[in-house]
Amino acid sequence: MLQVQNLVAGYGKVQVLHQLSISVPKGQLVTLIGSNGAGKTTTLRAISGMIKPDAGEILLAGRNIAGMASHEITRLGMAHSPEGRRVFPALSVDDNLELGAFPRLTGARPKGDVEHDRQRMFELFPRLRERRAQLAGTLSGGEQQMLAMARALMLGPEVLLLDEPSMGLAPRLVEEVFATIARLKAAKITMLLVEQFAAAALDVADYGYVLENGRLASSGEATSLKNDPAVRAAYLGGSH
Amino acid sequence: MQNFFQILVSGISVGMIYGVIAFGYQLTFATSKTLNFGQGEALTLGALVGLTCVNFLIGLHLGTLTAYLIALPFVFAFGLAQGAVVERLGVRQAMKTKSEAGWIMATIALGIIFKNMAENIWGKDPLKFPSPLSEAPLTIAGVNIRPMEIAIVLGALAMMLAVEAFNRRSIYGKAVVATSNDRDAAGLMGINTPLVITFSYALSSLAAALAGVLIAPITLTGANMGAALGLKAFAVAIIGGLSSGLGVVVGGLILGITESMTGFYFDTGYKDVPGLILLLLVLSLKPAGLFGKTAIKKV
Repeated sequence: MLQVQNLVAGYGKVQVLHQLSISVPKGQLVTLIGSNGAGKTTTLRAISGMIKPDAGEILLAGRNIAGMASHEITRLGMAHSPEGRRVFPALSVDDNLELGAFPRLTGARPKGDVEHDRQRMFELFPRLRERRAQLAGTLSGGEQQMLAMARALMLGPEVLLLDEPSMGLAPRLVEEVFATIARLKAAKITMLLVEQFAAAALDVADYGYVLENGRLASSGEATSLKNDPAVRAAYLGGSH
Repeated sequence: MQNFFQILVSGISVGMIYGVIAFGYQLTFATSKTLNFGQGEALTLGALVGLTCVNFLIGLHLGTLTAYLIALPFVFAFGLAQGAVVERLGVRQAMKTKSEAGWIMATIALGIIFKNMAENIWGKDPLKFPSPLSEAPLTIAGVNIRPMEIAIVLGALAMMLAVEAFNRRSIYGKAVVATSNDRDAAGLMGINTPLVITFSYALSSLAAALAGVLIAPITLTGANMGAALGLKAFAVAIIGGLSSGLGVVVGGLILGITESMTGFYFDTGYKDVPGLILLLLVLSLKPAGLFGKTAIKKV
């Protein structure tokens, strides 16, 4: 579904990603782990068009989307729940969800039943239903994270990019976020998950890539990565 | 006392004009953090295009009011197009090159070009704009109010309420608000944010053009009519706050009323002073403006 080939990207003259290649098959959950500054977020930003790749190909369902503007990429079915949540603070929860379906409501993607999908989001994240009329800026961090994920899902995406959904959340909420990701996986949503909690991410993922200084350090089935002594020592704290 | 209310009425109508122009500054600032320093010239062009349309329609033996109402959509369309041109030619290029001040010079330059065009097409002398409403004042409780002054207040409020309703109700309006909140995140929603910014410039010039055709019947029209208005509306936008719709109305009224009061009770030569002193006070004490909001942002 999503293939990244020899991706080179960065900020200005600072190159962050060096010839990175990863693949996310349809219906699978792939995770990208690595320490801070390894280039995880940069990878997602390049895929969704928030930054322009300097070289390489990004294929979404076989079509090269590298270099397109982010709104064009979204209209092709790429949803991105960005780092730091980035909900629209001055708009209500309902409006945030509606904007997630913007391409569907404006004819850029098949419309389907937007209201039905919004109700599904309220089933998936019951807290959002209670808060639906509230401005997103007044939500707690955990609620904003749920809103960011729900908003991305409202696109009815071909691929969902999740950037650090657990960041800054209390341990109980982190568990809740991973339980939700597991449910989305059961619903066969194609996902690329970037996480600092490598162990939890590998528990839920099908496949994993380990990123080091913008290059692939290793990759493999999530279960085998979890048992890889080098990965365990570097990213899983040697425990588990 | 009667004088006082008389002065108040004229202060309110001028103040609402400042408010509409300042509202235009807000529209572009919200989406792009840039302003069109040629707003005054957008007003001038709106008024002059309106004048030509109205005169043409009157030449077809239409009544002045009918001619005025038919001319309005053309003035609006012209305003939209003119604003879009300013954004595409001036602002977008400057933003692309990440130039901090490029858009300031570009919008000022385009303003001067538009003013020169107006001088060449309509001449340098002030022109009379036929009043669509009776010029005979209504007397309410001893105060003379010209019907056009009432039209200014209603027209200005209608414009701002229409934009507010669009932003709250329609998906495209919400896309504009989303772009103002977080441009990158709006792009991730599939919103074409460069187009939203062009649109906000178009709407901003439409507001100025509306202000132009509202004020033209009670003043005179001419290539130079907009410069001072645009500058004062900029002061209003700073006083009221660049992020508050209520702020520009209140700021506009404060400036309009203090001006006419000073002009009447003190000296017309000093009428701009109180407003500008207020501007300096606001800048030093409350730089976000009297009604400026600090954005709610959780980390």
